[in-house]
Amino acid sequence: MELYIGGYAQGKQEYVRSKKSGQDVEIVPDLHLWFRQLLVEEAEIKATEIKAAAAKAAEVKAEQVVLTYCEEHPDCVLICDEIGNGIVPMDQTERAYRERLGRLLIELAKRADRVERIICGIGQRLK
Amino acid sequence: MIYLVTGGSGSGKSAYAEQLMEQASGEKYYIATMRVRDEEGEQKVARHRKIRRDKGFVTIEQSVDVGRIEIPRGDRSSALLECMSNLVANEMFAEGQIREPGPVTEKVVADVLRLGRQVERLVIVTNNVFEDGISYDPGTMAYLRALGAVNCRIADLADQVTEVVVGIAVQIKEAVCPY
Repeated sequence: MELYIGGYAQGKQEYVRSKKSGQDVEIVPDLHLWFRQLLVEEAEIKATEIKAAAAKAAEVKAEQVVLTYCEEHPDCVLICDEIGNGIVPMDQTERAYRERLGRLLIELAKRADRVERIICGIGQRLK
Repeated sequence: MIYLVTGGSGSGKSAYAEQLMEQASGEKYYIATMRVRDEEGEQKVARHRKIRRDKGFVTIEQSVDVGRIEIPRGDRSSALLECMSNLVANEMFAEGQIREPGPVTEKVVADVLRLGRQVERLVIVTNNVFEDGISYDPGTMAYLRALGAVNCRIADLADQVTEVVVGIAVQIKEAVCPY
């Protein structure tokens, strides 16, 4: 598994696609958007107040979905926006999104064979 | 030689850019891109002009169309363009309109290249405003895409790309020393 992180509009996808061209790898182009959607789904399940569903909520914890995906796709390439370098938002959902994605990225970076940060279309190898 | 310097607010990127200029010989030009709207802006510009004159810079005020700048030929001059985030905003949000990011990107890159051909050293300061995760209004998101694309294009053409973090210059793309 490889992780590519960087700010919005920094040319991450072009960078990864040109690097991996011709290779048969599974690319997750916007991990942050996927994770955000998983958080929405998680919140919806919790809000149902149906016991069976609430019990199921533990299974669909957003972080676990991503980690399971990585275990099932050991050669995948994850691309994610850096979203944590701004003012901490007042809104709880926005705050949780940044905090939980940040923590998840730390875990993914530990497991990754390679971590790069893209800025101005140029990759910096961090791991 | 084109040098691209990026970093956050207060990172020390301007000071590093000035250091790069100190190494250059010949006339030094400072291309100021801030658009002056009122008296407060005029006072700020006058103050900055004086500070830069003391540092040996000739200031050129150019809030758009930096490709129109004519640098006098013959001297081994250098120029500092500060900053790209202002320039792209001025090009994009003019006369109450929002221009498309694609054409804005092409225009700014072409303008910068024309400017770069006229000087021995062009130092460009840009701004890392891409990491806060906020979904702004469509106009601002389009602006971020334009600025991001301009940065990528210029970084690709540049001889050196540097990110300044807490005043420390981290080389992203290093100039190859020919000696």
